Amino acid sequence: MATSLSPSRPAVLAGPAGLARDFVALIPGLLLLAAVGFAGKFIEQSIGGYTKSHHITFPNIEYVLWAIVIGLAIANTVGIPRVFQAGVATYEFWLKAGIVLLGSRFLLGDVLHLGGISLLLVAIALTLSLSFMHLIGRAFGLKPKLTSLLAVGSAICGVSAIIAAKPAIDADDEDASYAIAAILALGAISLFTFPLIGHSLHLSDKAYGLWAGLAVDNTAEATAAGALYSDAAQKVAVLAKTTRNALIGFIVLAYAIYWASRGQAEAVGNKAAFLWRKFPKFVLGFLLISLLATLAIFTKPQLTSLANLSRWAFLLTFAGVGLRTNLRELGKQGWRPFAVGAIGEIFIALVTLGLVYGADRYLHL
Amino acid sequence: MSEPTAVAPRRGISLDVYAVSLALLLALLVRLNLIPSIKW
Repeated sequence: MATSLSPSRPAVLAGPAGLARDFVALIPGLLLLAAVGFAGKFIEQSIGGYTKSHHITFPNIEYVLWAIVIGLAIANTVGIPRVFQAGVATYEFWLKAGIVLLGSRFLLGDVLHLGGISLLLVAIALTLSLSFMHLIGRAFGLKPKLTSLLAVGSAICGVSAIIAAKPAIDADDEDASYAIAAILALGAISLFTFPLIGHSLHLSDKAYGLWAGLAVDNTAEATAAGALYSDAAQKVAVLAKTTRNALIGFIVLAYAIYWASRGQAEAVGNKAAFLWRKFPKFVLGFLLISLLATLAIFTKPQLTSLANLSRWAFLLTFAGVGLRTNLRELGKQGWRPFAVGAIGEIFIALVTLGLVYGADRYLHL
Repeated sequence: MSEPTAVAPRRGISLDVYAVSLALLLALLVRLNLIPSIKW
């Protein structure tokens, strides 16, 4: 996760007047996020109520999927008018706030146990994924920096990693925009395929959550992919993804040093400051809330309230996931970069699935 | 978002800090029972 408000929106708000103006500009998009999220929840409840009252056996389709599908339909048919765009872009803000609040559902011991396993698996998966992405990028004749962006995006943290890496390796805007579009489209595809594969392999909630957190690119999509499986799977997916996000600085730093050594990017001065700048600060918020929950600062009803606040924040996030995914954007640069991204994703999904199977068996998730 | 675009890094308070601040404020309000219990 990077520190910008979205791929297309500045994070910095200047002064009280600027703050007020920015806030007003967010309202239409926020209302759209809420409307799409509520529509998803309404459809899930309506179908559930109807099938139950008529004794019809029908699989429960979570509001998550409805919200994303409605968002995708709007974004790829009528499009998102400009007045809504700033508010829609806040989906990443709600995601981060939701993750911090979700920390209340973890005891710090669980975070350290699962986070430690995640860290080990992430390190293995990262090494394999980055090497593989560069190999196929070369095989498909992609520009090296576009390959680097796709590799960072698919191996670490999707869009945010691309945004973090772009200035560090001095990549073109065009390459970065394309890599973002490809990663978003691939993320949308994984939302539909991961739960199906998880169910067909009878993965446990923990194993599936860990897999989704390790393999799905964007934090929003990883959270949604977990939620589509189960509540418990979502918790684990968020934790695994957060661990992955925490490594973003190290990978971007490695790429920055590599490209600087080839004279194609500026040299990195203070490496510790660079790492801190790229470190996703919301991880610290997540750990703090988890610590407070571990210290029994909150009562049980209060923990329920915090968990529900997190759900409401995720509802807005999932609406945004669909609304910001524009599939038409992919047609602009041809099929090869998308093919590289897709092959890389399949490779990463298979590698991480193997790792999760191994961890489930030997490390006792 | 109709057209994703990449942006350069900026100075100032990051989105993460705002998100963490909001989450901690909400946690504090819940802890002090200053907001009613939240339903889903």
